[in-house]
Amino acid sequence: MSKLILLFLALIPLLCSSFSPETPSDRRVLVLLDDFALKSSHSLFFNSLKSRGFDLHFHLADDPKIALQRYGQYLFDALILFSPTIERFGGSVDAAAILDFVDSGHDLVVAADSNASDLIREIATECGVDFDEDPAALVVDHSGYAVSATEGDHTLIASDDFIKSDVILGSKKIEATLFYDFSHYMRQAPVLFQGIGHSLNPTNSLVLKVLSASPSAFSANPKSKVTTPPSLTGSSISLVSVIQARNNARILISGSLSMFSNRFFRSGVQKAGSPIKHEKSGNEQFLNELSKWVFHERGHLKAVNVQHHKVGEANEPAIYRINDNLEYSVEVYEWSGSAWEPYVADDVQVQFYMMSPYVLKTLSTDGKGRYFTSFKVPDVYGVFQFKVEYEKLGYTSLSLAKQIPVRPFRHNEYERFIPAAYPYYGAAFSMMAGFFVFTAVHLYSK
Amino acid sequence: MARSSSKDAQDLFRALWSAYAATPTNLKIIDLYVLFAVFTALIQVVYMALVGSFPFNSFLSGVLSCVGTAVLAVCLRIQVNKENKEFKDLAPERAFADFVLCNLVLHLVIMNFLG
Repeated sequence: MSKLILLFLALIPLLCSSFSPETPSDRRVLVLLDDFALKSSHSLFFNSLKSRGFDLHFHLADDPKIALQRYGQYLFDALILFSPTIERFGGSVDAAAILDFVDSGHDLVVAADSNASDLIREIATECGVDFDEDPAALVVDHSGYAVSATEGDHTLIASDDFIKSDVILGSKKIEATLFYDFSHYMRQAPVLFQGIGHSLNPTNSLVLKVLSASPSAFSANPKSKVTTPPSLTGSSISLVSVIQARNNARILISGSLSMFSNRFFRSGVQKAGSPIKHEKSGNEQFLNELSKWVFHERGHLKAVNVQHHKVGEANEPAIYRINDNLEYSVEVYEWSGSAWEPYVADDVQVQFYMMSPYVLKTLSTDGKGRYFTSFKVPDVYGVFQFKVEYEKLGYTSLSLAKQIPVRPFRHNEYERFIPAAYPYYGAAFSMMAGFFVFTAVHLYSK
Repeated sequence: MARSSSKDAQDLFRALWSAYAATPTNLKIIDLYVLFAVFTALIQVVYMALVGSFPFNSFLSGVLSCVGTAVLAVCLRIQVNKENKEFKDLAPERAFADFVLCNLVLHLVIMNFLG
């Protein structure tokens, strides 16, 4: 019995290790499925998540017992919706509950598919992504399709139009080593995609196209003749998109559920018109790296230890005087999934701000996470702020503001005698001396 | 024509100078004092034009002390002039006392504004 209690006590830290500012990676993930068969047909993706320490809870999407929160506390840190056809979630979950979940800073992965339900489309629309309205439409590409044994209808697309961002897709390029024509090629393996396309809402500035269709793609029903121009064409079709909300919640929206499947992970791929046959599609690496980003294993920044003081002093003053020279420093770290590591960049800037930035300086870094600079307080007094507003593609945004008042010179801090004014002093005193001399002369001249 | 006009001017100045020579000595002293003040003021204005108006308060007080001195001296001259009938009831001692008092006030203000 005592052993059991000891074991329980030892487990408490593990049980409590949920999302927190100190360890921003997600831990508990709710996976909602249409069918438990997905658990085995998509097991490679789920196993990759499990091996990275995620605690996956599988439920059918219409399970009446599912709940995102209990007693006002969220039970999960992230939600994976692999249930494209669901019309109504079971339990208390609905579109509004899912959006509230995101609004409170949690992450979301949505995979739609052909015959995606209105519910999934509504959630996507709320996130700034509009799926093709035609329920029978698929993304078709007659020149960028993946070559397969059967000719098919060219809905299986091999796409390699990735977003150019190492933080979202990982610094290791999606690539395959090939021996072709006696020379050694490194070439990115395309990602297989079969599903519906979406467009990004132009008014939403937070949504990013991660994988886009080729210029020859279009979205239409592959079984019928295209009589009217398709509503979505070319590279404006997004296949996979991500959103980072202003509260740093991250959302992944894909138009294809099958791109997560073992079959696509393991399948070889040869893009039409390309002589290179890749042994393995880029799906596994692409989606694993993307899931690392979505679940905050990468690109999550924190800024700590903001310090400022006058040059030559160590303590932070309560007030600065105009024209003081000051030093400002801040430490920025990036979460690597297991530890905070120094963030190294050359574009972090600090503003000395009162209604508008009076000083804007790029901070220099020592490579160990510390960013510092020194500058002169402007010749303007008032209540200023040290501001760091750092928003970089793929990284969580940093927004620091620290208020500091700036006072003018005291009356005894001015120069007592100004060399340039000596003639004026001389004139004033010579007038006084002249007055004395004149008085004497005037009185005794009679 | 030009020669005759320059000759006229010479005659004019000579007449003016001979008329001025009749001025009592104490008034001549006051005139000298006024000239000294005005000349000092002009030097400062030229200096300000060369160096710039940076300690503007110092410039103002320097120039205004000269101008004030000149104005007060002119006032004294009007009051002690025997030929001026307007102030014939006012004793020259009283006029001088006024002049000294006003100068004290002027220089007090100038000293405050100079620094």
